[in-house]
Amino acid sequence: MGIIRKMRAPFHEDWCKNCTKPMMVMKKELFMLPVLVDHYVSHEDAAYFKKNLIKISKKADIPTGYHGCGIIKYHCSNCNYDRTRVKVFLPVRDIEKFEDMVYFEKGELDSIL
Amino acid sequence: MEEKIQKINVPYLIGYILIPIAICALSFMIGYKFFPKGNGAVITFMVPPILSFIWWAFGGSFLFKRNSKNFEKTLDETGFKRAHTFYGRGKTVFIDTENGKIGLVFFWNPTKTYTVPASKVESAWVDDGKGGVGFMEGSSRVSFLFTIDGIKIRVDTFTSNQRFRMDSDYILTGISKAEVMVKMIEEAKKKSTK
Repeated sequence: MGIIRKMRAPFHEDWCKNCTKPMMVMKKELFMLPVLVDHYVSHEDAAYFKKNLIKISKKADIPTGYHGCGIIKYHCSNCNYDRTRVKVFLPVRDIEKFEDMVYFEKGELDSIL
Repeated sequence: MEEKIQKINVPYLIGYILIPIAICALSFMIGYKFFPKGNGAVITFMVPPILSFIWWAFGGSFLFKRNSKNFEKTLDETGFKRAHTFYGRGKTVFIDTENGKIGLVFFWNPTKTYTVPASKVESAWVDDGKGGVGFMEGSSRVSFLFTIDGIKIRVDTFTSNQRFRMDSDYILTGISKAEVMVKMIEEAKKKSTK
């Protein structure tokens, strides 16, 4: 059972990578990334997101052709592990075109959440 | 400036296709009459078709790209503030949202460039090219269109020889680009009427 759960864990972003238990959602925020369609380049540097993200309240606030960014901070109360998931997407009509997914594990983005 | 937009220069279009064919025919005739063998035959029978192929494959796009770049420089020098430039297939569109102007260059009319006030744009819209039903539903072309003086100008943001699902990345990117351009045209139009 434990081995199967370990194998399944990488496919569940909200499962703790250490104990494979479901993590709690601590924060969930929506941002706008002012980069036009076709100009997004993948970044794994937290400083880039800290510098460029603009907080918004709803997806409709993202201007046409610009990217959105959904950030979720997870916490595992069992082993005190934190993970922040950054999903970059391009809203087109009612669809979110997936662009990139980046994870941070040392609370690099806590200051903007 | 008030000149009517001409998307295709017919003499250029005909010349582009027919002049190389005429040169090849003439060269074959000369080769047949005077150089049936040897180096002369190689030159008269091989060089013109190769040059024609090079012209058809690269000549037009070279002229078009050079023309677009030159026009870009001219616009910058004349105070046209390029908010966005879209290099489409066979058309380049420059938009100045600040002064409400639109610049245009066409592949099939390389001798002319156009700068028009955006207030002349009658309508602008996105065509996602959606076709088919059920599992066959999809698109192979996404474009934005606008009309100036009743002339419809279509600029493709995505084209393919295959049909893609409407939620595919290619189609969504194409739609997004087209929507950005339509928004910019409308923005320029608002500034232009003020």
